[in-house]
Amino acid sequence: MTITPELIAAYADGELEGAERDRVEQALAQDPALARQVEAHRALKARLSAHFAPILDAPLPEALTRAVRAQPEAEVLSLDAARKARAASASSGTRSRWAWGAGAALAASLALAVVLNRPAPSGGPGYADGQLAAALDTQLSGTSAAGAPVRVMLSFANAKGDFCRGYSGQAGAGIACRDARGWRLEKAFGGSAGEEGVYRQAGSTDPRLMAAVQDMASGPALDADAEKAAIARHWKR
Amino acid sequence: MKRLVSSVLSIGKARTLSDRFESEMLALLPRLRRFAAGLARDPARADDLCQMTVERALRSRDQWQAGTRMDSWMYRIMRNLWIDETRAASRRGQTFVDEEAGAAVGADGGQEARAMLTDVDRAMARLPDDQREAVLLVMVEGWSYKEAADIVGCPVGTLNSRLVRGRDALLALLGEAA
Repeated sequence: MTITPELIAAYADGELEGAERDRVEQALAQDPALARQVEAHRALKARLSAHFAPILDAPLPEALTRAVRAQPEAEVLSLDAARKARAASASSGTRSRWAWGAGAALAASLALAVVLNRPAPSGGPGYADGQLAAALDTQLSGTSAAGAPVRVMLSFANAKGDFCRGYSGQAGAGIACRDARGWRLEKAFGGSAGEEGVYRQAGSTDPRLMAAVQDMASGPALDADAEKAAIARHWKR
Repeated sequence: MKRLVSSVLSIGKARTLSDRFESEMLALLPRLRRFAAGLARDPARADDLCQMTVERALRSRDQWQAGTRMDSWMYRIMRNLWIDETRAASRRGQTFVDEEAGAAVGADGGQEARAMLTDVDRAMARLPDDQREAVLLVMVEGWSYKEAADIVGCPVGTLNSRLVRGRDALLALLGEAA
């Protein structure tokens, strides 16, 4: 049989088995020109591999890893659009999931926030009351408008298994955890933003809040479905 | 710390599944960047292609079956996006990478590499697209012929003959010493 260039390449790439491979090996033993072709193929492969290998060890662009961790909001239709998105996200620096989570993505769930003004009983000193308690009871994370009095940022379970929620409001940011009496105020970060009557923008959440959440959380943040279920159970664990 | 922040703060459906999906994708990024560099032959365009691929994959994650290989799925997405992009570009009458001026992708993949166009870059730039992708998938990315043919969507025999023509062209351009 004829030893075609395709067969030689397939042999060099380890694609042949059994009788086919035996035939090629016999031909190689008899024909130094064929053996040189196999060598040339393998040398080329080694050279190409070496040429592209450094990319594997190069640091990944931050925009790329961020894209994996944050669902995009809109279809990128062309490389031009992708480049603009890359440039935009590079310049915005610390744009995190907060911007996305507090944005319009979950706006459809805003209906739940309508009951925000319902008066909520307070558990007493050290517990949330009024608007804050109501928001903690009923607001889905990331759904409130930028100017809302209280914006709940996320929910998580602490080491005891109690539900806790991080929020940001006029009087600053904080974390409250739900126990039998109500929303116990665990952390409070009075912010200059609150004192000046200027609201923090979505996406610029107090880093102290995020650090405290990390210390307290026993697992990942609750997703929207889990929050809805928790709201329905009045945050009883 | 950073990873934990993003893990704690991320919001989405089925967190655990989603985290696994994400971490698997993160692990694939270096290889996807390498393939993108070979296809696009320009570091910036390659990263744009990577970005598009990741975003498309995240949007199409329902089409990916857990338990099946994510890597070949994402290679296919990237390859198809690149084909679409080059077709759109030729309709617009644009040529992105001039054969002689094509940017280098090796070395550190950064600005320095741009300046020094290597022989390999020049030779790869001269290959027809179908031969270049066959060469990249098998000789750089290490896919079997069958896997590479699946990614491209062509018969194995076609892949094999494209590879041979591409290889022969490269050997002629680069010299016998390869």
